Amino acid sequence: MNWKNIRLIFVREVRDQMRDRRTLFMIFVLPILLYPLLGMTFLQIAQFVHEHPTSVFVVGPLPDEAEPALVSGSRFAEDLFEEPDEARLLIAHRGTAAQLLVEAQRQTKPKPAAHDKHRAPQADAAPAAEKESASDPASEPSTLPDTLPETGPETEPATAPATEPSLTAVAAAAEKLVRSGAYQVVVYFPPDFAPRLQDYREALLAHKPAEARPALAIPSPQLYFNAAQEKSQLARARVAEVLAKWRSQIGERNLVAGNLPPGAASCFRVVSHDVAEAGRREAAMWSKVFPFLLLIWALTGAFYPAIDLCAGEKERGTLETLLSSPAARTEIVWGKLLTVMLFSMATVMLNLISLGITGLFVAGQLPQFGPPPWSSLLWLLVALIPVSALFSGLCLALAAFARSTKEGQYYLMPLVLVTMPLVIVPMAPGVELTLGNSLIPVTGIVLLLRSFVEGDYAHALPFVPPVVAVTIGCCLLAIRWAVDQFNSETVLFRESERLDLRVWLWRLLRDREPTPSVAEAVLCGVLILVIKFFLGFALAMPTDFAGLAKTAVVTQLVVVLTPALLMTIMLTSSPRKTLLLARAPRWALPAAALLALFVHPLANLLQQAVLKLYPINDEVAARLESMFEGPFNVWAILLVIAVLPAICEELAFRGFILSGFRHLGHKWRAIIFSSVFFGLTHAIFQQSVITTLIGILIGYLAVQTGSLWPGIVYHITHNSLAVLSGRVTAAEYERFAPLRWIANLAGERGLSYHWTVAALAAWAVLSLLYWFHRQPYRKSPEESLQEAIDHHAAQSLAG
Amino acid sequence: MIHVRELTKAYTDLERGKFVALDRVSFYALPGQIFGLLGPNGAGKTTALRILSTMLRPTGGTVSINGYDVVTQAAEVRHQIGFLSANTGIYDRMTAWEMVAYFGRLYGLPEDKLDARMDAIFSRLKMNDFRNVLGAKLSTGMRQKVSIARAIVHDPPVLIFDEPTTGLDVLVSRALLRTVAELRDQGKCIVFSTHIMREAEKLCDRVAIVHRGCIRACGTLEELRDQHAQHDLEELFFQLISADSNTPDPRSAVLLEEYRG
Repeated sequence: MNWKNIRLIFVREVRDQMRDRRTLFMIFVLPILLYPLLGMTFLQIAQFVHEHPTSVFVVGPLPDEAEPALVSGSRFAEDLFEEPDEARLLIAHRGTAAQLLVEAQRQTKPKPAAHDKHRAPQADAAPAAEKESASDPASEPSTLPDTLPETGPETEPATAPATEPSLTAVAAAAEKLVRSGAYQVVVYFPPDFAPRLQDYREALLAHKPAEARPALAIPSPQLYFNAAQEKSQLARARVAEVLAKWRSQIGERNLVAGNLPPGAASCFRVVSHDVAEAGRREAAMWSKVFPFLLLIWALTGAFYPAIDLCAGEKERGTLETLLSSPAARTEIVWGKLLTVMLFSMATVMLNLISLGITGLFVAGQLPQFGPPPWSSLLWLLVALIPVSALFSGLCLALAAFARSTKEGQYYLMPLVLVTMPLVIVPMAPGVELTLGNSLIPVTGIVLLLRSFVEGDYAHALPFVPPVVAVTIGCCLLAIRWAVDQFNSETVLFRESERLDLRVWLWRLLRDREPTPSVAEAVLCGVLILVIKFFLGFALAMPTDFAGLAKTAVVTQLVVVLTPALLMTIMLTSSPRKTLLLARAPRWALPAAALLALFVHPLANLLQQAVLKLYPINDEVAARLESMFEGPFNVWAILLVIAVLPAICEELAFRGFILSGFRHLGHKWRAIIFSSVFFGLTHAIFQQSVITTLIGILIGYLAVQTGSLWPGIVYHITHNSLAVLSGRVTAAEYERFAPLRWIANLAGERGLSYHWTVAALAAWAVLSLLYWFHRQPYRKSPEESLQEAIDHHAAQSLAG
Repeated sequence: MIHVRELTKAYTDLERGKFVALDRVSFYALPGQIFGLLGPNGAGKTTALRILSTMLRPTGGTVSINGYDVVTQAAEVRHQIGFLSANTGIYDRMTAWEMVAYFGRLYGLPEDKLDARMDAIFSRLKMNDFRNVLGAKLSTGMRQKVSIARAIVHDPPVLIFDEPTTGLDVLVSRALLRTVAELRDQGKCIVFSTHIMREAEKLCDRVAIVHRGCIRACGTLEELRDQHAQHDLEELFFQLISADSNTPDPRSAVLLEEYRG
């Protein structure tokens, strides 16, 4: 690679972008103006933000003066709130159950005529069934019938009136009233609530012995609210607090009546102390904001320049000029990539600096928000380079695919949809930086950044290497993809085609090649995953072996094998070539079986490491265990777990899908991509990791031997050993002495191989792989061409 | 020197299926000559020239330019050629001088030689009046001159022109053709494609008539006239392609064979 060419292209592209007024405005002017304007708007709006009162309909008789007051006038008693001023947030309307029904009927009647809308509300009437609006005049109650008491606690007779509506009717009325929005909460005190309370208190005051007192079976007040409305939820929370406080007060009075100190029920108070250092609280808030903004701005800052540099060049006709120059495709990609990175980083930096400065001033006006810590900007700048590189590579590859700037802009949304969950999930409470999370692209960066911004360096530092490694790996993959796009004739010189479904389907059938194309391989893999996803809902989760067998048979035959076989028959002209059904070389089958035998201890160790990194959920582990409980037929297990999956999965993944990917022109890419689909098909993530790696091994066997059969033999052997070794019990371990030479018992069941055995096995595996490597394999035409090009390129460099 | 042997290029098209744009095309071009590729739209001329300029890879056959293979030694080939087509644009936000200098540097010209070379080219092509004007503000003729300057700045031995007069008026076309003839006189090996017969008649030393991806006739103009007893090149062209017109285009029904060559 000629870095001089890369520098030339980079300098030219940057100068070109800097001469574009739109780019200058988006990168420099907009951030400088945007955040101060937003801050100003925020401060203006903040003055209008205040809490609105909510209305509560309190139904039923309340206790008399012997009990602490719940309602005082049209408000709840002030001593029931933390701050007396908070009492204004709850407006209480008293009434009987019958009045509740009447009110409910009134609120759900058709709206009155227009002239009635402007009727002035009476001073202490309940609110009408008004629509929700930003400036909610909820403080004005609507008009109730004149028979309603207007203020003060209700003094009802100890016994309920004969015409007291039933609880069902009250509940229905309360539902209607709350749903209509006239009241946010209805609190219903049963008719015998007050009398029972009163009777109990009188017995306490009369110092009656416990057996002579009435049973403490006070009927529960019923609280009706609407969880679908935020205002109702808020009112409910407030009322629940008030009622809890009131209950405590009643309890204290009961204690006094029973000659006990009032604090006996809550004999101690808990005092909290916030030990957060100065600025750490604010850092905790900004630690969620900054990483999110970093990634969003890095993505959008990369996307638009990438579109202009690739799709825009195609439209303007300058790409062909550049392609005919001495600059290699890789050099062109690197030059453009560095340009996109530069603009992505500039976008982020300017936005963050502008936001940080605006945040400082806004924080001064709003004491509840602290300023962002300056160290957070430093960490963000450090994270900026890998994040920009990753998104720049992705954006460049997508932009290269687009024929025009208009088409390129359509690709932004899918990219955002894929990236957003990886950015948002780390913000959720309970998601912490762990080794497992640090290996997830983008998510690991966000979590690491959060820890650094919060100042939790001791916790974060050990996770820096895995996050950096994964990010760099993803960057290189993205850049590789971009280079491939620039090397693809169909991408660079693709012309518009009218999509006619009939023609397309006819072409698929008419122009069948002996083996599937790359697109058909991808389609098969995606189909398998999608069918598996939906079938997972239709099939019951197995709880025993019979269920497992049924699920396995259906999954293998319907999900895995059927799509692959159907696509082979319909889309290829040589199923034998596609499915690699040729005879394997002599000794390949026993070699494959031996390879599986020697890989088994290594796979076992790897599985333990994966489980340590990503422990299986207890519920899932218990369910897996239950599937193999009780007496079982070994042959049945081997058939279901080993033989059937080996045949079906090999035909699908190493047959159809691998054959398709071979057209990429790189043997290892074909093997890896087909293995990724193979791994994703497995139900549990922990299993997916191992099966992907095993899939690479089996794919290698298939390519080197040109036959599926060694892979099938390997797969059967591998699965059989995994199942059998996982079922070894302590008794069997003791009974078979040779087992002790090679492994320890892992828990109640299963084996954990000794390190020496693993080392010897590794040596044997390498020897067998070397033998397979020596086998002359048949290259695809694309692989032959790529090899010739690479050979000549190497010669040119050497010469 | 350009050698093309059994060159084949096949595409996959949604409606036509497997489409062979070039079917075993062979020709050669020598230094100090202009070799013309003459044919109607869709004949395969642009495909052939894109393969020569290493933008596309052939499906079959071999192409060598000054001894370098276009597939396996693409980087060396690009140093040997200057390519210009109706599709090659110039950068709107660069001046004429900046653009030519940019490509000069990409071709590896040292700075001192580059400035001298560019001065000579700009003088010869009469571009000094607009050397500092941005590409967006240049007229069509000026843009074409910039493209020519860009293509010859590194003094390549081989030049490939793909319908360079498309969209140009008579005066500009004439000036361009004169420039191409001058380059031929300097000893360059030039491949020139066009669908305008008069251009081919005036400019080309040898001509290949291309139709439906195949060469129907190839040779000097005198040879072609003698062979087909037709003095007028345009009439000769129609005579050659009229036989094809009554038969279906074989390219649309061809299934791809094994990799040839």
